[in-house]
Amino acid sequence: MENLSRRKLLASAGVATGAAAIAAAPSVAQAALDHPEATDPSGPPPEETIVAYVRDIKRNEVTVMSGTGEVTYRDPVLVKRLVKAAPSGSTRK
Amino acid sequence: MSSHREAPEISQDPVADNTDCYAFVSPDKPDTVTIITNYVPLEDPPGGPNFFEFGEDVRYSIYVDNDGDGKPEIEYQFRFKTRLRNPDTFLYNTGQITALNSQTWNRRQFYEVTKVNHKRGKSKVLGSDLASPPCNIGPRSTPNYPKLANAAVHRLDSGERVFAGQRNEGFFVDLGSIFDLGDLRPLQNLHLIATSPAMGVDATATLNVHTIAIQIPIKKLTRDGSVPSDAMSAKAVLGIWGAASRRKTRVLDKANDERAQSGPWVQVSRLGNPLFNEVIVPMGEKDKWNAVHPAGDKSFAKYVEHPELAKLLPVLYPGVFPRLAKLKAKRADLVAILLTGIPKGIVPGFQNYTGSVLADMMRLNVAIPPTKSKPSPLGLLGGDAAGFPNGRRVFDDVVNIELQAVAGLTYPLVNPDYKPDDAASALTQGLTPGKNRYQSAFPYLGTPHNGFDTPSGPKG
Repeated sequence: MENLSRRKLLASAGVATGAAAIAAAPSVAQAALDHPEATDPSGPPPEETIVAYVRDIKRNEVTVMSGTGEVTYRDPVLVKRLVKAAPSGSTRK
Repeated sequence: MSSHREAPEISQDPVADNTDCYAFVSPDKPDTVTIITNYVPLEDPPGGPNFFEFGEDVRYSIYVDNDGDGKPEIEYQFRFKTRLRNPDTFLYNTGQITALNSQTWNRRQFYEVTKVNHKRGKSKVLGSDLASPPCNIGPRSTPNYPKLANAAVHRLDSGERVFAGQRNEGFFVDLGSIFDLGDLRPLQNLHLIATSPAMGVDATATLNVHTIAIQIPIKKLTRDGSVPSDAMSAKAVLGIWGAASRRKTRVLDKANDERAQSGPWVQVSRLGNPLFNEVIVPMGEKDKWNAVHPAGDKSFAKYVEHPELAKLLPVLYPGVFPRLAKLKAKRADLVAILLTGIPKGIVPGFQNYTGSVLADMMRLNVAIPPTKSKPSPLGLLGGDAAGFPNGRRVFDDVVNIELQAVAGLTYPLVNPDYKPDDAASALTQGLTPGKNRYQSAFPYLGTPHNGFDTPSGPKG
């Protein structure tokens, strides 16, 4: 499996600039993160995309795939946010 | 079938379903090995307008283990791309296809071949933009199919020859009979539910398959780069198998042409010895077997040591297999044939032993020269050491060989006191494949049936 660091993952997703902006204006960014906005997709998915899924809610495990790499993190905050963002009716165990 | 639709998951994914694996010293080029892996089972030749093809999102692999650990040292990967000339027609072709670049051929496939050296952790693209031939449609669309197929045999600068496209199904079997409670038509008067004996029916006689074939200089495959001449040398034996993999996730968005893939490659199909997953591995384990490499086959050894089919034969044919019914010992003969190779000292002048690692691989001793005069389709059982289970040639009757082996014919190799039932050597599916099924030159499987003439004549 290819080595896939979180920093590399964020960079490949083009999130690094956003992260820098968050650091510069923490209050605004925090507010935005607390209230994710539901939206229609703006276009088709890229041929290669980043996919994340909650692998185990109880253990706070989330698996992130990019390219042919895959890393499973233990990240309570991210898991909590994804569970919160999940549409109602989804399985939550 | 050899491995056609042999497991629940892969039976729903034909383009990734590895149906047969062949490996043999090329009879017309004995300094090379030919490896063939087939996909897309049971192609009915008239199957248009979307004729059969390889999967663009599948990675097809041919693996070679040259040190006996059940893990590959060498891998050849094949990846396909489809090109559409005209999206505004429903037709596969809008006129005759007379060449691989015919403007009237609408939907074409091209592929890339990559060699991976797992020992060094390096990979190299050996060939790109290699054309596959079209499917054999009929005399109006593909009037000279052999010419198209020959043009699709590509010589790579690195020394290999490759072909990827439709061929005649080489595997022959009385499918409808065997899966009707283990009936063997010539013996069905002896079956528990007896009917009159009849000739076997070749269920795949008019079907095609998609073939990936590669011919490789032997020196590129052996552990020390040599061309072994001593059949007793361990370095003369190669372990070979094929596999198909898909990306871990695929996202469909709005329409089927908006798709994304991500994650590691996950193996969904594999095949070394014919019929291993089909009749040895039980239903609940078949999908798991398809997902692991041969090095992990130790957990399946119990199914080889005590095969279900060996227990069924005496039940289905009452009184016909009395000695087999009493044989309760581990089938070390089948373990040798399928999981370790046959050690030296068992069959005079022959071995294909790869060591103690239990792994389902096709084991080919490349120091055994091809049999040019009257090769036996029963391979080693027929006294022909150039055939199965020393690799597998396209015409080897692997169903009969494995039926006879499971019925106890090969058990005396490990226990000379055991006398097989008379029926063990008489066991047969009663089939002889037609002469057009194979050809004498690469890729050795014959011209595929065309859709216009197959099936020929009216059907009832």
